[in-house]
This record gives sequence, C-alpha cells and structure tokens, in this order.
Amino acid sequence: MNDIAFGYLLLAIGIVFALGVIYALTSHLGSAERAKPKVPRGVHLPNPSPLPVIMAVGGALLGAGLAFRGDDQPVANPWLAVPGLIVFLYGIFAWVRAAGREWDETERGPHDDDTGH
Amino acid sequence: MATTALSPQSKSYSRSWVVEWLTTVDHKKIGILYILNSFFFFFAAGILALLVRSELAVPGLQFLDEGTYNQAFTMHGTVMVFLFIVPVLSGFANYIVPLQIGAPDMAFPRINALSFWFLPLGGILLFAGYLFGGAAAEGWTLYTPLSGPTYASGVGTDLWLIGLLLVGTASILGSVNFIATIFKMRAPGMTLFRMPILVWTVLVTATLIMLATPVLAAGMIALFIDRNYGGAFFDPNTGGNPVLWQHLFWFFGHPEVYIVILPAMGVVSEILPVFTRRPLFGYRAFVFATIAIGLLSFSVWAHHMFTTGQVFLPFFSFMTALIAVPTGVKMFNWMATMWRGSITFATPMLFALGFLSMFLIGGISGVMLSAPPLDFHLQDTYFVVAHLHYVFFGGSVFGVFAATYYWFPKMTGRRLNERLGKVHFWMHFIGFNLAFFPMHELGIQGMPRRIADYSPDAGWTLWNLASTGGAFLIAASILPFLVNVVATFINGEKVGDDPWEGNTLEWATSSPPPPYNFDKLPPIRSERPVFDLRHKHDAEHGAGERGLVEGDHR
Amino acid sequence: MSAESPTMHGADEHLPISHREAGMPTPLVGMLLFIASEVMFFGGLFAAYFNARAIHAAEWGPPPGAPELEMLPIALPITIVLVASSFTMQFGVWAIRRGDQRAMRNWTMLTLALGVAFLIGQIYDYTTLGFGIGDGAFGTVFYTLTGFHGAHVFGGAVGLTILSARAAQGQFSRRNHVAVEAISMYWHFVDVVWIALFSTLYFLR
Repeated sequence: MNDIAFGYLLLAIGIVFALGVIYALTSHLGSAERAKPKVPRGVHLPNPSPLPVIMAVGGALLGAGLAFRGDDQPVANPWLAVPGLIVFLYGIFAWVRAAGREWDETERGPHDDDTGH
Repeated sequence: MATTALSPQSKSYSRSWVVEWLTTVDHKKIGILYILNSFFFFFAAGILALLVRSELAVPGLQFLDEGTYNQAFTMHGTVMVFLFIVPVLSGFANYIVPLQIGAPDMAFPRINALSFWFLPLGGILLFAGYLFGGAAAEGWTLYTPLSGPTYASGVGTDLWLIGLLLVGTASILGSVNFIATIFKMRAPGMTLFRMPILVWTVLVTATLIMLATPVLAAGMIALFIDRNYGGAFFDPNTGGNPVLWQHLFWFFGHPEVYIVILPAMGVVSEILPVFTRRPLFGYRAFVFATIAIGLLSFSVWAHHMFTTGQVFLPFFSFMTALIAVPTGVKMFNWMATMWRGSITFATPMLFALGFLSMFLIGGISGVMLSAPPLDFHLQDTYFVVAHLHYVFFGGSVFGVFAATYYWFPKMTGRRLNERLGKVHFWMHFIGFNLAFFPMHELGIQGMPRRIADYSPDAGWTLWNLASTGGAFLIAASILPFLVNVVATFINGEKVGDDPWEGNTLEWATSSPPPPYNFDKLPPIRSERPVFDLRHKHDAEHGAGERGLVEGDHR
Repeated sequence: MSAESPTMHGADEHLPISHREAGMPTPLVGMLLFIASEVMFFGGLFAAYFNARAIHAAEWGPPPGAPELEMLPIALPITIVLVASSFTMQFGVWAIRRGDQRAMRNWTMLTLALGVAFLIGQIYDYTTLGFGIGDGAFGTVFYTLTGFHGAHVFGGAVGLTILSARAAQGQFSRRNHVAVEAISMYWHFVDVVWIALFSTLYFLR
C-alpha cells in the first residue's frame, strides 16, 4: 500500500472519529455543566485557559522545525521554528502574567465567596 | 475571580463547547480528552496491526512491500505504547484520582491541560512521516545503527523522535502533577494508608515515569544529534557505540512496561472488591508489592539485551525472576479477595477476570524469558511477541476495558448495556487468545519477529492463519463496544451516584460530578469510606467482614 | 501559596493552624519533582559520556589537531561565576524571607547578570575549542552535555528575569514568595550539574 494513501486514509478516519466525538460531546456531556450550582465557599478553582493548547502548538511547531530542517539550514527550519518559538515564548509570558494576576487576587483582591478572608 | 469562573454568569464561561473543551483545566474533562484521544490512536494502531496480520496470514508478499510492512509494525508498536495505553490509563487516573482522594482538582490544572494537548500534536508529528516519504520503520525500539542517518535517511524517524520528545515531556509534567496531587491534596482523614490501591499504583507509576522517561529523552536527543548534526553517539564508524542506544532505551523501556501494567493492576484492585463484596485482601501487601515492583523495575533492563554478549547475565536474570515475586503476591491477594466472595459477573468484573488470567500467562512467559538459556533461543522470535501481547493486551488493555465499563456511569451518568458488554468481552477474549497463543509455538519453532514473509516450507502457515483470524475477531469485537457507547449516549440507562455500590470516594458524588467534585465528603476512616457510610451502623458497632473495624486503619 | 493550584483557602497565615496548608508548598513540591526528572535526564547524558570514555579510554579527549581542554582562561572563571551566582541567589531568598523585596530584587538581578556572564563565557569558550559536535565521540558528548547545561542555564535566566520583573511590581512578600524559592532551587540544581560536569571534563578527564 502506498504511504501517502495510508496517510490520507488515517486522516479520513481521524475526521470521522472527530465527528463522532463531536456528536457524543454535544449530545450529553456538555449539558450537565451548564446548569451547575455555585462553587461552595472556600474552594478556589483556576479559570479555563487557552494557554495550554497555545503552548502545545508552539512546541509542536518548534519540533516540526527541527525535524523538517533543510540541508542548507544549520539548526532548524525557520519557517516552522520561528513561529513556534514566538508562540511558545508568548505562551510563557502570558502564563506568568496570568499567574501574577491570580496572585494579586488571592493576596489582595476582593473575595466574593464570603469566607471571611 | 476564580470562584465565580464556573458559575453561568461568569464572563470567562463560554457558551461554545469547542472553546470550553479547548480551554478546560478541569481534570475530569481533561481525563475524558485523554481517553477519547487514546481510543482514536488505539483504532489507528489496530488498523496497522490488521495490516501486519493480513500480510502474515499466508506465505508470500501479498499486498505490502517490506518497507511499508516495516513502517506498519513500527508505528503499531509505537502508537500503542506511547499514544494509547499510557495516555488512556493516564486519562482514567486524571479523572478518578482527585475524586478518590477527595480533592477538588489536580495540583497544577493548567499544566494538566498542557500535558494533554501535547498528545494529539505529538501523534500528528509521528504520523506525518507517512506524508513525507515514510514513517519510522526500524521497530518501536528503533535500534541503532539501523535508525541512524545512513540506513534511515528519511524524515519519518526524525518525526518519530520529535513527536515522542513532545509526548515524553507531557508525560513527565503529568507525573509531577500526579505525585504533587497525591501528596498535597488529600482530603482530611485520607492518610496514605487509606488511599485506594489505584491511587498507590498511580503514585508509583508516576514516579517511574518521572525517573525513567528523561533517560529515553536523553537517548532520543542523542540519536537526533547523530542523525542531523553529525553526532557520534551510536555510529561505530565515527566512534560511537550502537549498544549504548539499547542501554538508554531499555533503562527507560523496562520501567515503561511497569508504567503500563501498574495502573491496570490498580483498576483491577478497585473492581474486585466491589464485584465480590469483599474487602481487598492484604491492602498493605499490595502497597509494598507495588513499591517493590517500582524499585526493582530499574534493575532489570538488560534482560532485553541478553544476546548482545555485553551483559552480566546472572545479575539481570536474577533480578528479573525476583520481580515476579511481588507480582505473584498480588496475584494471590486478588485470588484471596475473591475466595468465598459473592461474585457478580458484570462486564467490569469479566474484564478484570480476563486480566487476571491473561496477565498470569504473560507473566509466566516472562519468567521463562528471564532465563538466558531460554532467552538465547527465543529472543527476537514470536515467543517474545506472544509474551508482550499477553501482558500489554491481556493485561493492560483488559484493565482499560474494565475501567471503561466500571467508570462510564460515573463520567456520563449512564450505564453501558450489559448484554452488549458481554458480547464484546467474549469476542475480545476468544479473539485475543486465538491471535496470540499460537505465537508461543511459532516462536519456539523459530519464527523471527519483524519479518514480512516466511517460507511455505517452515510449517508456520497454519498458526499464522489462526492468529490472523483472531486479530480480525478482536477487531470485530470493537463493534459491539462502539455500538454500546453510542447507543448509551443517545438513550442509555441513567444511574445515580453509586450504581455499583462502590467503596471509594468517587461514588460519594453525583454522576457526573460537579466541577468542584464534592458538595460534602463522607468521613474518611478507612480505605472504604463509601462502604463505611453505607454500613454506618455496622461500622459504629465494630462488625464487618474480616474484622474491619472503624479506627483499625492508621 | 500557589496562584495556580486549586486550594481550599486563600493565603492563609491568619487562619487557625487546622486550616493552613501544611508542609512544603505545592509549587515547591512540583519544582523538586521536576528537578528529579532533570537529574535523570542529565544522568542519561552522563551515561553516554562515560560509555564513550570507557570505549575510547586510550585516546579520550579532543580530536587530533585540537588543543587539550584547559581550565584557564575560561572554564574555571565561569565556574567561579556560576557558583557565585548561587550565593547571590540564596542571598535573595533570605532577603525575601525577611520581607525585603528590594534587596531580593537586587540579588536576583545580580544572579541574572552572573548567569548571563556564564553563558557568554561558555559560548566564547566554544569558539576557542577547535572542534565541533560532529568531530568524533568526544566532540559529540562534550557539546551535548555542555550545550544542554547551557540551555538549562538559559531557562533559569528566563526565570530570573520573570522574578525580577514581578519583584519590580511588588508581587512578593514575606509570606508569599514561593516562586522565588522554586526558581532558586532550580538555579542551585543548574549549578550542581555544572560542578559535576566541570569536574568530569576538567578533573577526571
């Protein structure tokens, strides 16, 4: 069997699988979350964040840059590695900034869960 | 503000489920993502296995050439180990461990999410080789010098290395997360020796991941340097040592197989007490056996290298046989748990029993291989393929299906259909044995592994044909499973907090749990807090099976 | 107190003991475990070094045509610089434990400067060596080990920069400075690895 054909076959299977997953998720798993009560007092959970997926994409681009290095490129493929590095560094910067903001809130900010502290 | 982030009015709460799942840091959603992603790769690697088995069914190259065949078995092994079995167990652990210790989430929720997202991306890089001249094709163990720049000049092997470096990094971060969570976030009353066995196995597994995976990373980076920057780690022509790769790979690779089996053992240890209505026999022995397996796993790696002639055989042979002892202790304890129990043969229990029997066979063939006189004949034959599938598949994958049927109600609020579950189990069990038992005999008769074709005069044809039949039966068994999952999502039997009458804390909250996990925790006085709550009267008055009294556990 | 870990309470010094987080703060546990994994990573690289050295025992060293490795004028001075930076880092930790954020910031920036000096020295050293990563077993393991160590120093320098910036914004206090403790642990680890590496390359040979 031809390699490229196999690659496309897997891609097609992946798309079908992803559609199946999307169907499953939209039918039941999401709905339980929407009608949720308030978090009990004293419990602090972190906010959702796009940074994990952003940093993972950055890391993958960097890695792809290393793998797809052309013969005339000494270290990595700049078309992939440079965007990857930018995304990754942005991710670190944003992560630290978010952590600092959360520090501000827990250390100094208002608490609206009336735990008394 | 953190506490209002999850209430419907919060501005960080999104109506779009795509954004919700892409940005979640909730261990339950991340666990589900891990499980779904892993099953996708399970099916992909399964298709690769069917390709291999189809080609091998009869002598002659039917429809694959050697190069494509090599890619098929390489990617099959790689994807199964790194993108299916470890992540799916990690996914169950992610979902269940915080619940079982009474915590609101993992210690580092954002890093938890980061660890997940590396997986699909690493997998894409791995498979990208197919689109660029061929994926890696040197076996999942990628031995040098075959995997070096001279003989594997395509980008597929580089993509393998980079993809697994990403996946390995994710794994290491995840292990740090688990260890920190287990040590720092247990609910009051949950002492270490009241933790469920699953939590103990995850703790030891995470320690193994944390200590072993970096060594693989070092080796993979070294190979990448050899392949791309003129390095001389492994190429004898430039001063390198090919056997060094084997040492670095297997120093990771052996703990890796315990990383694969320990969580599955934990799952079985959760399921047996519930479906036999007995406490787990020898809780402390389980804990110490798990720790012993973890420690010993670092001392046996060279049993994969007996035939290199560069290994001190007596030491590694002895240590390998020794590691069977704590494993045997666990086996006896599981048997003792079931002895005189009132057994319910629900699907999770069937898969747990399948685990016990199949893993026993795999363990025995492993001990056989620990003897160099046997290993010298059986190394790189189908006997090893039989052994590894009995422990990986007969062990861990049975454990994964047991976990799936057991915790599906907790995760979705609906129970999978029992009838379809039993059909799935029996097709799977029969198919599995038909596929892999003949391989023992093939190996003894000398059939080497990783060959695309064999002679019609070898006498191997019948067993190969049987094995291929078994493989397709396994594939067919996925059908009732998938139908079951989809049908249950659409219209399955709804259940409450505790459909199985479980023992551990995850059954003390709703199905599925709220984002913060628990409204109220029951008192934790033993390793079975929900059992205790259900039998509050008995516990208060000191009755109970085998003298399990409140306050008995420190 | 970690900003990221979900907690049952906020910054908790004023709470009764039963409500406080006991033992080592969670982010510090995380950093310690991460350092353990990094030790194993360098262990793998050192294993490769010693394996190559055992095989080539008779002629172990830079390839023919390149000079022998010398501690002076670069390797020993940058070692002293890095060891000194561990001291300055610890002074910074002690400062913030006393609540002196300004002193902590100054010590941190000094540590950063020393770390950068180490990196510059290391890179300059590379230009004087006369062999590259592709020049045989010794060249490969030498550059791999020192290169990855340098990359870790760079990572630490990024961490120190972040610490300095956050300190400038007044984000650390006597009871809330776990990031400083964590980065300092990482920095000491990087220093210890260098001491092992330096001893292996320049003393053991």
